[in-house]
Amino acid sequence: MGNITLGRYIPLDSPIHKMDPRAKIMAMLLVLVAIFFPAGWIGYAIIFAAASLTIILARLSFTFIWKAMKPMLFMLVFLFVINAFLLKTGDPLLTLGSFTLYSDAVFQTLYIAVRLLLMVMITTCLTATTKPLDMTLGIEDLLKPFQKIHVPAHEIAMLISIALRFIPDLIDETERIIKAQESRGVDLKEGKIMERIMAILSLIVPLFVSAFQRAEDLANAMEARGYAPGEQRTRYKVLKMEGRDYILLFCAAAILAGMVWLAYYR
Amino acid sequence: MPISFEHVGYVYSKGTPYEYQALKDVCLEIEEGKITAVIGQTGSGKSTLVQHLNALLLPESGEVHILDRVIKAGDKPKQLKSLRKEVGLVFQFPEYQLFEETVLKDVAFGPKNFGASEEEARKRAKQALKMVGLSEEYYERSPLELSGGQKRRVAIAGILAMDPQILVLDEPTAGLDPQGTEAMMKLFHALNHTYGKTILIVTHDMEQVFRYCDKVVVMEDGGVRIHTDKDTFFSDPDACRKMNILPPVLIRMKELLKANGFEVADDIITENALADCIARQVKKHG
Repeated sequence: MGNITLGRYIPLDSPIHKMDPRAKIMAMLLVLVAIFFPAGWIGYAIIFAAASLTIILARLSFTFIWKAMKPMLFMLVFLFVINAFLLKTGDPLLTLGSFTLYSDAVFQTLYIAVRLLLMVMITTCLTATTKPLDMTLGIEDLLKPFQKIHVPAHEIAMLISIALRFIPDLIDETERIIKAQESRGVDLKEGKIMERIMAILSLIVPLFVSAFQRAEDLANAMEARGYAPGEQRTRYKVLKMEGRDYILLFCAAAILAGMVWLAYYR
Repeated sequence: MPISFEHVGYVYSKGTPYEYQALKDVCLEIEEGKITAVIGQTGSGKSTLVQHLNALLLPESGEVHILDRVIKAGDKPKQLKSLRKEVGLVFQFPEYQLFEETVLKDVAFGPKNFGASEEEARKRAKQALKMVGLSEEYYERSPLELSGGQKRRVAIAGILAMDPQILVLDEPTAGLDPQGTEAMMKLFHALNHTYGKTILIVTHDMEQVFRYCDKVVVMEDGGVRIHTDKDTFFSDPDACRKMNILPPVLIRMKELLKANGFEVADDIITENALADCIARQVKKHG
């Protein structure tokens, strides 16, 4: 459980960590959109360079990114197999009996692989350098303008922050229950089908029970402290944009503009 | 030599910024057939230590001897089931492990996992439930609708039904009412005396240590600071205080009496004996 890297906050001291979460979220969205413009390999190289620079500035290691990318590999292999059978355009590369592999199948998969890699890099730059709580503050602020059309900005932010808050707790709880059941002879790695089903059941039931219990406790604790959804609330931590945040936003916007230009006007 | 730790070290989340050394070069031998209390402040490594006993955690360095098995650092031991059958581990708040539809089925879950037949498992489950003081009327109820104390007893019965040689309990009485605590501790005492089980209890309650345990292990900062007889341990209340341990009421009472001119023999370890001792001296001088 301890080695899930995707979406995990890494407490370090770097200029990227100190930036305003709103700026980081906006910049991430801009660059994510930029990835989807067909700007060709030059475009991807630019985004890759920008993302790498951010990772270095944030003092994250590339092995960390690689670990986050690993779960995607299986999906990419799967995609490649499908593409190999369905895409029959481009130059034939390889013939095995009645099956021929075309260049477009390879390039299509590569394109998607590169896009996925870039997306993982950029989202990791955000999630690894932003505390979950700051992230929700940022999301709440960014959703504020939509309150005019009855988007419950605060409630959404509260939902997200509660969900995020419970992830480590539930991971700990799962580990605890696994250990408790292993002590009772449950074997999660081997055994017959029926035994395996029992083993999984012996984890899921207690996990649900305790998750519901926790939810109820939290709801009561919040109500006891006077929380009422929809009320106007003040904030302890007030976010403030600084020079470096504007620079980040400008860079992200420039990348997006560059990609549009590369894709349509060149 | 049923249990011994030799230079055992353990690190959580190795290789991440969250890395934390929980055990440092622990050397410890636990005597067979005794009740040993493991005490120490939060974060001193007690829970990490006891999880090595049934190989839920494997040592990063050193080796652990348990019964006739040796678990060395770097090994990937197989067949841990046989070890886990012999070392019953009860976690903190074990009621979170309950999941079956009925109390009886839940208690029988352990023995069945260790290869007992359906009938045998039910028989052992019934025995274990009797030991923890739950009568037949509970057999067919859902464990999830019981009270906290009853859940705890069902969970502990679930481990007892496995009939382990060594019983390891991580704060078994946390959150129980005084009667429940008393009954639970008496049960462990009886398991030790009547069935000769080796018992390890992690606890913060010095009264329990004083009344029920034979040996005391004090953990501090990931290492063993003291390992001695209970009586030796409490014979020096000031040393206890230095380790932030408040001696039990009886010991403090004896201290006060001595400070005020009473003669109190060292071998007085029960309230009644102490009361007699005071009465005799009050009469003499009265």
